[in-house]
Amino acid sequence: MTNQTDTAVRESRFSLEAASNYAVIVAFIAVVIFFTFAAPGFMSGENIFNLISNKVVLLAIVALGMTIVIGAGGIDLSVGVSIDLSSMIFIMMIAAGYMGAFAVMGGLGAAFCVGLLNAFLINKLKINPFLATLGVLFIGKSIQQLSTQGGVPIYLTRAEYAAPFDAIARTSLLGIPTPIIILVVCIIGVYLALHRSVFGRYVAALGAQADVARYSGIRVPFHMSIVFISCAVLSGITGILLSSTVRSYVPLAGDAFLLDAIGATFIGTAISAERRPSVLGTLIGVALLAVMRNGLLLIGWNFFWQQVGIGVLVFLVLGLSFGLRKRAE
Amino acid sequence: MTAAAIEMRSINKIFGPVKALDDADLVVEAGTIHGLVGQNGAGKSTIIKILAGIYRRTSGNVSVFGKPLDQITPASIEAEGVHFIHQDRLLVPTATVAEAIFLRNEPRVGPFINYREMNRRASELLKLYFELDLDPRTLISELSTAQQKIVQITRALAHDAKVMVLDEPTAALVSREVESLFSVLRRLKTDGLAIVFISHYMSEILEICDVVTVLRNGTDVGVVDPSEVGIQKIVEMMTNRDTSEMYPRREVEIGAPVMSVRNLTVDGAFEDVSFDIRSGEILGLTGLLGSGDKEVLNTLFGQIKPDAGEIILHDKQQKFGSPVDAVNAGVAKIPEDRRAHGVATGLSVGENMSLASLGQLSTRGFVDRKKEAEVVDGLIRDLGIKTPDRHTLVKNLSGGNQQKVVVGKWLGCNSEISLLDEPTVAVDVGAKVEIYNLMNRLASEGKGLVFVSSDLEEVTEMCDRVLVIYRGKIIGEYKRGEIDADRLLAAASGAVAETERKRA
Ligand SMILES: Nc1ncnc2c1ncn2[C@@H]1O[C@H](COP(=O)(O)OP(=O)(O)OP(=O)(O)O)[C@@H](O)[C@H]1O
Ligand SMILES: [Mg+2]
Repeated sequence: MTNQTDTAVRESRFSLEAASNYAVIVAFIAVVIFFTFAAPGFMSGENIFNLISNKVVLLAIVALGMTIVIGAGGIDLSVGVSIDLSSMIFIMMIAAGYMGAFAVMGGLGAAFCVGLLNAFLINKLKINPFLATLGVLFIGKSIQQLSTQGGVPIYLTRAEYAAPFDAIARTSLLGIPTPIIILVVCIIGVYLALHRSVFGRYVAALGAQADVARYSGIRVPFHMSIVFISCAVLSGITGILLSSTVRSYVPLAGDAFLLDAIGATFIGTAISAERRPSVLGTLIGVALLAVMRNGLLLIGWNFFWQQVGIGVLVFLVLGLSFGLRKRAE
Repeated sequence: MTAAAIEMRSINKIFGPVKALDDADLVVEAGTIHGLVGQNGAGKSTIIKILAGIYRRTSGNVSVFGKPLDQITPASIEAEGVHFIHQDRLLVPTATVAEAIFLRNEPRVGPFINYREMNRRASELLKLYFELDLDPRTLISELSTAQQKIVQITRALAHDAKVMVLDEPTAALVSREVESLFSVLRRLKTDGLAIVFISHYMSEILEICDVVTVLRNGTDVGVVDPSEVGIQKIVEMMTNRDTSEMYPRREVEIGAPVMSVRNLTVDGAFEDVSFDIRSGEILGLTGLLGSGDKEVLNTLFGQIKPDAGEIILHDKQQKFGSPVDAVNAGVAKIPEDRRAHGVATGLSVGENMSLASLGQLSTRGFVDRKKEAEVVDGLIRDLGIKTPDRHTLVKNLSGGNQQKVVVGKWLGCNSEISLLDEPTVAVDVGAKVEIYNLMNRLASEGKGLVFVSSDLEEVTEMCDRVLVIYRGKIIGEYKRGEIDADRLLAAASGAVAETERKRA
């Protein structure tokens, strides 16, 4: 008799716990269904395609970098700087007549340097990641303003410049647009690194308890450097994709990605039982944010009301997920 | 008849797939010291945390001094005069000793804390109960585990308790501190307090408890008087089997030195320490709290940089700048502070156990998950770690089982030298034997082990050689056969040094 009630209790608790993990996915599906009916044109092939190749790809790559950093227990407020400096160097090199491939390397090199600077501040000067990357954010903004006379965009319109941009943003392989291929490569790379490799285990240990990692013989500074440099370089890739799409460099354009990348990562933690950042979770977070923005825009909400809508959604999803979990315990 | 101080009846507690308590009863009378024993994961801490309002019971009744309590919160239970020293609730690391002792009970002048008064009373209490000279302004994070326990106990004493519940308070305390704790508890008992005492040391249970409740798999299987039934019987009730072979023997040829320590000095901690660790040897290192034994171990692991002297390993002088260097040179250490350095409680059992040996469990940087699963599952089986599976988060394991995860993590990576700082703390009788077996296995593979423990009996039984440290100096060396607990204690407390000084 007692045994029966026990199993009943056990099962209901189990499903509550499971439900808490699926809250984000359920929310995503609900949002998609809602906009399919509420926003004419949302489900059109063209809209979906634009959404993915413009919005999702750019944000997802930055968010993957942020996932590594947050997974290691840090935060990177300077992703915008990596995006912008990469984009700026890329455009300037194209304008100076360099080959596209070199310009790409130059851009990524600039992002790499941002990551290296973060790593130096965090490992050598022992500044905590929040403050270190905040400092780099300020410095990066000034550098851009100083080198563009206070923030004047660099537009490249002449025909001879078009080739490298088109190669990155407008070509396709087997019918799949290049940016999407780049995203898929990034996803696979970060997935293997975080969820299959020794490095990923070290990242998880750093995120859970850095002291335990140190006492286990893990080279904490070295791995922290890899973490911040990976994030910066991934952001750099977004920078190059961004400027090849719009054929220009707009100072401080990268700032817009910071909060969305952090948001997507944290929304993503809700899908794992351990509440840890994961590649899959982050991608769902990115998709949720992108669909919300796009859908709200289509039903005629302006940017400011979009922010309100997204804020409320985040409260709902995370509140539901964490609340259910609490109940399960 | 007056109502019992604590009466818990038919308590059930379910955590997801785990049934931690299954119709457990615990009834404690005022004016008694009530032992609570059981193997790791038996449910001891869980029943205590239910009483403390940290966990909510799935079903069952609780009353304190005859008053039924429905919803318990940590504050409401303290208001009933019930105080706790939990196994794994730490003090705030950034608080001072005095702040920790008087938390929520600070002496005040108007709205302000009277720091002078608070510091004075804190050092008074520490002196009075434990004869401990500790600056009340020291930060908790700077204290050893043992000192932190003492501060926690002092806090409960400062709060005028009617019932005091102590979850493994003596783990990591040396015998002198245990003695002073026991005399305090006896005094409180004659004052009419009810005391619940959890320990894995059966000798302590026998010495101090009037009644014992034995838990097995979440059920109380007996309430007995320990002096009547004896230790053997209690252990049998706990394990449902017979554990007579407590300290397994090994026959190992002791070989050449693996690590040599020469004139090692850390200013203010120890000086001029020299010894060899030979292959196949278990070397004991013992001393009173603050004698420098732990610091020697920490230095061998690169946590402290020596001011003078050398460490020679693999015929090479080693400069350990950090634990990373030590691990890479083949040194493993089971740290004393499990929570801060041993396990990451937010990671799973498997992730923790493989963390220090991923190098051996991977190919080209990728984790070989099949091999990892094999090794981890093997260790879980060998050590009898009570967990649903290797994916369970360590924070959901009982204290003793978390300790077994640390032991498994380090003994699984086959290092040349293993430094063991209180490896069997909080571990039950059966699992202790398994840890001893693992130590013996490493020794028989020709590794060297250094063993520090506040349990002199296990030092006596397990070590081939014991070095005694007194005030930062090695003052005695005993070989197997000459080692006995009284002798070690006498040496460690300086009696030998004193007689020698007199002779000189
Ligand atoms: N928060 C939790 N979530 C899930 N399971 C838990 C949780 N806390 C305890 N358990 C499980 O409940 C059981 C009883 O644990 P408890 O901590 O009470 O053991 P214990 O008798 O105190 O053991 P020890 O001697 O090792 O401290 C264990 O199997 C443990 O894994
Ligand atoms: Mg316990």
